Amino acid sequence: MRLINSYIKFFIFICMSFVVLYAQNDSFEISYPQDNRLQTELTLNVVVETHAQNFDTVKIITPKDKIDIDIDSNKSIYCKNISLKLGENRITVRTYKNEKFVDEKIRHVYVSSQLYHQYKYPPQKYKNSHFHNDKNEAKCVKCHDMSVNEVEKVAFIDVTKSNCYECHKSITKEKYGHAPAVNWLCTACHNIKSKDGFKYGTIEPVSKSCFDCHKENKELWDASRYRHEPLDSGHCNKCHNSHSSPYNMFVRKPVNEICMGCHKDKHIKAILAKNTECGYDDKKLCIECHTPHATNRPFFLKNKVTK
Amino acid sequence: MKQHMVKIIVLVVVLAIGTFLFQSYGVSEKLSRFVVIMKNIAYSLEHAKPAYEDYDFSITDDELKDIDINKLAKEFESSIDKKKKAKRKKIAALQRLAPAEIAADEIREEERPTHNKTRLVKAKMVKLEDLPDKFKPLKKFLHEPFKMGACKICHTSKNNKPGELVKKNIVDICYSCHKTRYTKKVDHKPVKDGKCMDCHDPHQSNTKKLLKSDSVNNLCMKCHDKKSKFKAKAEKLFIDMKLPTKHKPIVEKSCLECHDPHTAEYKSLLHLDAKMDLCLDCHDDEKEIIKHSKFKHGGVNTSKKRCLECHNPHATKHKYLLKKDRVQTCLNCHDEEVKSDEDGGMLMNMKKHLEENPNWHKPIKEVEKKGGCSACHAPHGSNNFSILRKSFTKNFYADLVNKEFFCFKCHTEKKIKKQYIKSDEHNITSFRDGDVNLHYLHVNDRKGRSCRACHDEHASKYNHLIRDYTDFNGVKFPLRFIETDEGGSCAPACHKKFEYDRVNPKGIGQ
Repeated sequence: MRLINSYIKFFIFICMSFVVLYAQNDSFEISYPQDNRLQTELTLNVVVETHAQNFDTVKIITPKDKIDIDIDSNKSIYCKNISLKLGENRITVRTYKNEKFVDEKIRHVYVSSQLYHQYKYPPQKYKNSHFHNDKNEAKCVKCHDMSVNEVEKVAFIDVTKSNCYECHKSITKEKYGHAPAVNWLCTACHNIKSKDGFKYGTIEPVSKSCFDCHKENKELWDASRYRHEPLDSGHCNKCHNSHSSPYNMFVRKPVNEICMGCHKDKHIKAILAKNTECGYDDKKLCIECHTPHATNRPFFLKNKVTK
Repeated sequence: MKQHMVKIIVLVVVLAIGTFLFQSYGVSEKLSRFVVIMKNIAYSLEHAKPAYEDYDFSITDDELKDIDINKLAKEFESSIDKKKKAKRKKIAALQRLAPAEIAADEIREEERPTHNKTRLVKAKMVKLEDLPDKFKPLKKFLHEPFKMGACKICHTSKNNKPGELVKKNIVDICYSCHKTRYTKKVDHKPVKDGKCMDCHDPHQSNTKKLLKSDSVNNLCMKCHDKKSKFKAKAEKLFIDMKLPTKHKPIVEKSCLECHDPHTAEYKSLLHLDAKMDLCLDCHDDEKEIIKHSKFKHGGVNTSKKRCLECHNPHATKHKYLLKKDRVQTCLNCHDEEVKSDEDGGMLMNMKKHLEENPNWHKPIKEVEKKGGCSACHAPHGSNNFSILRKSFTKNFYADLVNKEFFCFKCHTEKKIKKQYIKSDEHNITSFRDGDVNLHYLHVNDRKGRSCRACHDEHASKYNHLIRDYTDFNGVKFPLRFIETDEGGSCAPACHKKFEYDRVNPKGIGQ
């Protein structure tokens, strides 16, 4: 009898929980990002769409931030810019009513980086996804002008006038800004429309866009005998951040760290050999002797080494 | 032992005979010669020259630089055209028939009047003393029949009317002696209408060719002056000779230097095409520039009116016989986007640019003093792009410190090339942060920027001709220049917003 009772209780609990879940499913949803999103930038815009008003605050909890959103009865869509860390990020969106927890939803986002071994190969479930298609943009039209208002090849005098600026301003917040990015000439590079209707993609490989402006460099490097693999394969963005970076020349990390990301063996070798010329002293930059792009000398040396 | 001896003797003998033969037949010599020949063959095989087909007959760029095409062309032209030119000039001079200038014997045979001797004999001669009073005192030059007293060649006394003519039309009388009728393409209106008497006096005059005025120019100006009563259809026939700049030949010689008073092959009674050929006949030095310079001005070379597009051949208000001043003349064509002859690109609408941007470069602002557009551009052609008078760079980057630049013709080099400016020289530039010359900061590097990275050569909305947009690889980035009382700030694409202050330095470049 006890057993039956407990079975019935359990059944009722499960039914209740289904009912509750079903009811709450309608109250809000995270329309962006999709679950298991893969990206390389460290910032992301989260879009929350509310259906029912059984809560008064929404909290977005990320590994780095906790953001509160107050609910406005006239609005149904809220967007917030969040910053992420490398690797797996768990974004939790929770709703509260009178400071009592109501519901939560979770998204997983993976920020990959070619410069770290541990973040180079994301788990297979993570997939690239984009935002800008007509269906998604229709949600934003109420508050944002979603058209492109830049004149081709003429930068804004006041960059805040750019329609892209309002949502994407966080990508240019770092100290060193790439000229087209900080002048919001976005469509110079983001000019590819994919087959499934997503706009503003970039050309593959990226270097085609880069060499539109950096013509002289291309000529010089193409004529060189030895070319660094990332350059030769056209992945300039492996080391450089085309928007902004805290480091000079828009590199994604301090120079030596970038090099050691791939050439770790060289570092250890140099230490073992007590080679003071190269690598033993951490204050010395790799690019003082080696050129990171292309050269006619073996080992990417800048000058002839006499020993 | 004996056997050995025999062998040795035989060997010695054979050797002796061999050496004798060797020497007598000169085998060694032949051998050495053979070796030399073989060596030669081997050498020639090794260093075989390619066949003619393999030769590269094209001239390299370096070689091309050494060849002065202008000089070659000049030599070629001078050698061939010298004789032709001299001949043509002589004919042209004869064709012009300038009576005041050319002696009678230079006039062609057929153009001399033929005096009908029989008629002269028949005519009753009048002595000079018996002429009517109105012809006295006699003037310097007399018409030949008048001089002879052969009045009857032209006049009759049938009806007892004084001055009654032999024929109704005066032309017929003139042409009866001056038998060469004018048969070229263009006639002077009075010639066409048969009004010889408009210009010539049939009896006597103080000027050569029996003109009705004291000089050729004054005679022409009787009709062709702007204020004259003479009514011609075309406005261009009027000349205002009171204007300050006059064409030299008109002042020093006469109108006939270019025009034929009677008839000519080309429009406007000229012996050569008025648009260009006539001008270049005298202006040899400009011919060199117009025809042979690397970059040609479309205004001279491909326009409708050629030289006359900008110049007035007679007299104008402005220097160099220009129709308007040295800026407005250019804006006559450059008031819209004009196709460039240089590279086929479109040249900017300069008139619009100047109207939109109130701060002008000084040569444009002070035209008469500084020279207008032609201060920097050579209007007839140049070997530098954009027909600039001196070489300049098209690029954003230029090594300014080690090179001479066109701008330094007027602007002091110190302004740009001096790294620190001491307080006694502070006035040479206002673009400094305390003592640090910010010009130098911008130009000193391998990637030094050229002047045009920040300055617009023509006009700008901002002071100091600062551009509103700088062109970097075809993309226009704004400079966002803001000027304050003691300094200013810039926030171009090249760097984030930097402020500078002349009095309280902000520490740029340290």
